Amino acid sequence: MTYFLVVGVTVAVFAILALSLNIIAGYAGQPHLGQAAFFGLGAYTAAILSTRYGVSFWLDLPAALIVAGLVGVILGVISLRLARDFLAITTIGINFVMVAIFQYVPFFGGAMGIPAIPSPAIAGHEFGYRDFFVTAVVLVIMVAALSAYLERTWFGAALKAIKDDEQAAAAVGIQVASYKIAAFVLGTALAGLAGGFYAHFMSVVTPNGFGFPVSVSILSMLVFGGLGTIRGALAGAVLLGIMPEVFRFISNYRLLVYGFLLLFMVRFQPQGIVGEDSWLVHQIGRLAGSLRTGGARRDTAGG
Amino acid sequence: MFIPSLVNGITMGSIYALMALGLSLVYGILRILDVANAGAYTLGAYVGVTVFRLTGSWWIALVAGAAVAASLGFILQRFFYVPILASGPIIPLIASIGVFTALEEAYRLIFGPYIIEFPARVPLPDIHVAGVPVRGVQLLIILVAVVVLVGTWYVLGHTRMGLAWRATAQDAEVAQAMGIDARRVTGWNFLLGYALAAVAGVLVSINYDAVYPTMGDMPAYKMLAIIVLGGLGNPLGTIAASLLIGLVETFVAAYVGFLLPRDSIAFVALIIILLVRPQGIFTRGAVAK
Amino acid sequence: MTHRFMYGRTARVLIALILVAGVAVFASACRQGTPQATTPIKIGFFAPESGFAAADGQSAQDAAKLAVEEINKSGGINGRTLQLVDYDDASDANQAVSIANKLVTLDQVTAVVSGSYSDQTLAAAPVFQKAQIPMIAAYAVNPGIPATGNFIFQQSFTGTVEGRAGAELAVKMLGGKKIAIVAIDNDFGHSLVDGFKAHAQQLGATIVAEDYNQFGEKDFGPIITRDLNKGADLFYMVEYGPEGSQFIRSWKTLGVKKPLVGTEGVDSTTQFLQVVGTDADGMVITTNLDRDSTDPNVQTFVKDFTAEFGHAPDMVAASTYDAFFVLAQAMKTNGVTPDQIRQGIAAIKDFNAITGKIVGYTANNEVIKPVQLQIVQNGQFHHYGVVDDPTLIQP
Repeated sequence: MTYFLVVGVTVAVFAILALSLNIIAGYAGQPHLGQAAFFGLGAYTAAILSTRYGVSFWLDLPAALIVAGLVGVILGVISLRLARDFLAITTIGINFVMVAIFQYVPFFGGAMGIPAIPSPAIAGHEFGYRDFFVTAVVLVIMVAALSAYLERTWFGAALKAIKDDEQAAAAVGIQVASYKIAAFVLGTALAGLAGGFYAHFMSVVTPNGFGFPVSVSILSMLVFGGLGTIRGALAGAVLLGIMPEVFRFISNYRLLVYGFLLLFMVRFQPQGIVGEDSWLVHQIGRLAGSLRTGGARRDTAGG
Repeated sequence: MFIPSLVNGITMGSIYALMALGLSLVYGILRILDVANAGAYTLGAYVGVTVFRLTGSWWIALVAGAAVAASLGFILQRFFYVPILASGPIIPLIASIGVFTALEEAYRLIFGPYIIEFPARVPLPDIHVAGVPVRGVQLLIILVAVVVLVGTWYVLGHTRMGLAWRATAQDAEVAQAMGIDARRVTGWNFLLGYALAAVAGVLVSINYDAVYPTMGDMPAYKMLAIIVLGGLGNPLGTIAASLLIGLVETFVAAYVGFLLPRDSIAFVALIIILLVRPQGIFTRGAVAK
Repeated sequence: MTHRFMYGRTARVLIALILVAGVAVFASACRQGTPQATTPIKIGFFAPESGFAAADGQSAQDAAKLAVEEINKSGGINGRTLQLVDYDDASDANQAVSIANKLVTLDQVTAVVSGSYSDQTLAAAPVFQKAQIPMIAAYAVNPGIPATGNFIFQQSFTGTVEGRAGAELAVKMLGGKKIAIVAIDNDFGHSLVDGFKAHAQQLGATIVAEDYNQFGEKDFGPIITRDLNKGADLFYMVEYGPEGSQFIRSWKTLGVKKPLVGTEGVDSTTQFLQVVGTDADGMVITTNLDRDSTDPNVQTFVKDFTAEFGHAPDMVAASTYDAFFVLAQAMKTNGVTPDQIRQGIAAIKDFNAITGKIVGYTANNEVIKPVQLQIVQNGQFHHYGVVDDPTLIQP
């Protein structure tokens, strides 16, 4: 059972990451290929606060969120100056530079990383896997609820307008700059939150854990599930997150299968497996529709 | 100290130029960041070393590597990239990451995880420049780079094919309206772009006497930084940026040491320069949005 | 109304996906079956068999299979055979944690060998400590690994010990006075350099330069040239095979004639010697496998491994192979429950392993064993000496 809980926690962490990236890349349409940098920033914040200053999990988690969000402001400001593809590559650069900082600056523990991060505790009870899992699921639900709320607010509408056409958005009076920065801050802060939780779960952080390949994984999950949708971020994190474990029986060919899966998925379902307008969503919608009309007919017959 | 660094820097820069030029050509037409181009670089090296073992000839290996990689590029664009172009820039990027991952794993499964040597002897002698040893293969790299780059410049600037390329890169719809066959231009573009990556792969693996499955990891992302520095889709700017990064990396290593990871130098340079000049160093006029 | 319809559909999609995912995980878990009391003793194992570290993962996996095969052939553990439960962590710490939990809860292994790098071993170790299952890290050097707890052992000498031995070799045997250091920028590089610097300075040498490079570094020419200009009379190179062979290429191109000290990082035929040929001749390395040992165990291991896999074993293979024999020794002498194995390992004294005589383990579960010095001659490693001064090899 523990094994499933552990896989579950990993999937949940990536679900938060995919949701966080969705705010930037999905809602606001900004290419961001360095989300792992902010994931790492959150993780290192929590690791340093808890191991060196004895700060508890419940305080270092919000700290992780805030630190990542503050650095996110910088990225947001940079994004205002750069054209789309330039920004994409700059975010890759930010990821590389962040890992180099973790590795080179002794304050961050250097190449050895920071080990022995304590488990969280509630009233003297130390977290077990079950507690980690429950907490992770609660965090995912909170972040998903926040995203759902955003989608229905003026903020969400403004981001969508910016995504569709920046100049048109500005023309109708949307403060493009502020909204863009806000999207970056929110998205990176949530990645920091995931990082803070993850540091306590893993009990050790090392620079390699937050490299560019991790950013690629997060983006792949989001695109695989469906860019711009909450269900897409969740589905992508679940499906690609459990993939390494499910395909363990073909051990030597796992990554090969992963590569092909990604390629064929975006080739034939570029909107993602459960994104807007995807085949699966249509089928399920049709099924639901036919069930409903079927039921309605019976009701009429009965009445 | 200065002269050896210069020679090393120019060699590095030439290698980067060969790799980045292909990527830049691809970007110029399709506006996609094609990570899989680095897969062609490794493919060239593996095909090259295999052919070299059969024939013992470095130039047959070079041609074979380029030909196989070019075919890969053609297939990729026709059946995968072009059909999903309408979905925006992130989708083709993910497709190319999928291709790149699958390719690297395929190399490992077929050729094994260990380093394979590429002990080809090139027809140029080892020489000394101002008392500094320069190996024949370094000379060959610089020579091939110069020939290829001048050739590309000529083709782009002085042939009908090049005109079609430039017109399509400028505005695909207008080009189409002028009777340019965008499909053909794109096809040629990928043939050339992937062949260039493979040529770089073969030369680099002869230079370092090593071929291994993950050799494309570094180029896959560093080349993106270089083509942005070069002004995205601007072949001449790309060449200049390649030389610049090759020299900066070598001189930093020589005079400062491995101050920061060599591979992040390109990105640090990129971030600093973009903050000062958001349109890249070598861009004239409008930026592709 | 439309809203409710939309969210209803979303929920249905999600439920369907979660069901599919759950069934898939469950199915893959069921394949493992349940263990029985009288069946073979299960030994868990994980290594980076795919991904960027696959070369070392492959070596470790090969050695693990060979070790289990040979232990079983020679009668197993008091009549019971060993069964290897082998997983690929793809150099991913997340996967290492999942695997560790899988080994503990589903496979219910008795003991574990990590054939992985420090990141993954470090992440997995707390899981085994919590479950009270002994784990031996075959070649990961991060000092945080044995510090996890009393069930976690380290089979490779700590970086500090190997660094000290390197300094002993460089200063006392090769006469280095002004030393230049070029090292890989990870825990391996840093911990060796720390040990090396402290001891070399104690012996009166000065360090004229200290540089760290990334994985995949190809051009060491500029650094070597600069360090020569600074008056370096000996180089200490802490690299792995791929970077080490490029260092040698630059070294050869520049025609440097200074003494060169390497480490176990380049102790590999496939990743280093085959690539450099005879260019590394004259270099001396600190490592744990003595190729010229007259110990029949070593000779058998080298012969069997080469016959089975077509190339000579490297440091990773020898260390992994040894980890299994240490486990077997502990089980034979002290019993086969996890706690008996832990005590058995801690109590080992003067055990003749492939990688030299294991003097024992410290209270912190770090191995104490002499450091072998090997010189490259005609493109092969040969005996050069040994550092077995107790004050130096005590971590």
